[in-house]
Amino acid sequence: MAEEINKKIKTFEQQQWIKENLSYKKDSGSWAWIYHRISGIALIGYLFLHVYSLSPLSQGKAAFQHKMELYSTPFFMVLEWILFIVVLFHSLNGIRIVLVDWADGAKYHKQLYRFSWIIGIILFFAMGFIMFSHEILRVFGK
Amino acid sequence: MYKYQSSKNSGSKSWVLQRITGLALVVLMIGHYILMHFHPENGHTYDAVLIRMQFSWYRIIDLSFITLGMYHGLNGIWGIFRDYNLKPWLKISVVSILIILGLAFTAWGYNIIFSIPYITNLAGK
Repeated sequence: MAEEINKKIKTFEQQQWIKENLSYKKDSGSWAWIYHRISGIALIGYLFLHVYSLSPLSQGKAAFQHKMELYSTPFFMVLEWILFIVVLFHSLNGIRIVLVDWADGAKYHKQLYRFSWIIGIILFFAMGFIMFSHEILRVFGK
Repeated sequence: MYKYQSSKNSGSKSWVLQRITGLALVVLMIGHYILMHFHPENGHTYDAVLIRMQFSWYRIIDLSFITLGMYHGLNGIWGIFRDYNLKPWLKISVVSILIILGLAFTAWGYNIIFSIPYITNLAGK
């Protein structure tokens, strides 16, 4: 009996999980789920890199400053700014998830999603201003 | 197919912890960004780090940041793997790798923080 019912249920084909995932119709919640995973993987990767990149701290001032010169170049500053997109999305969507789970957010999760994008874009440019204002002042300032 | 597995661990505790650590990380992250990027010197010079590290409470915050980040991140990665119904031997391998990676990098981070000296001749001491 159970066997027959099992045959009628469409099961998830694990061999073709990418194809299966892509075939689903996606709304804001599904995109949030996908982006949350991608940004989460990126962030744990960055955390490992962050520990590695700060390791010269234990070798004293000269070693650390030498390494920091590399990370203070415009290329790395732009990378840091791009990293902030990932941090922002994961944080704001994370808050959205907590609200959905604990504050009846399922009733307004789509509005929350749009709202978090608006807040995120504003914070992204605000951070850009904070991060690069010193550089901008140095070039165009007094 | 769904298969019932008798277990005392339903994952609900890790679900709650994932949310609590996540919220704590948002608070820590805001502080971290303000401190590190409001002035470029703060985040990028040895002296600035050295001064901050003279306060033990700052070290404790940093240690918690690493611990919470590692737990939240690796628990999240495990959550992704858990969606794909792995074979038992694969489950054990993935969990072991994640735990070893987590412990190793957390220990490395702790070690870096503890290696920064306390300056004994700071004003009056």
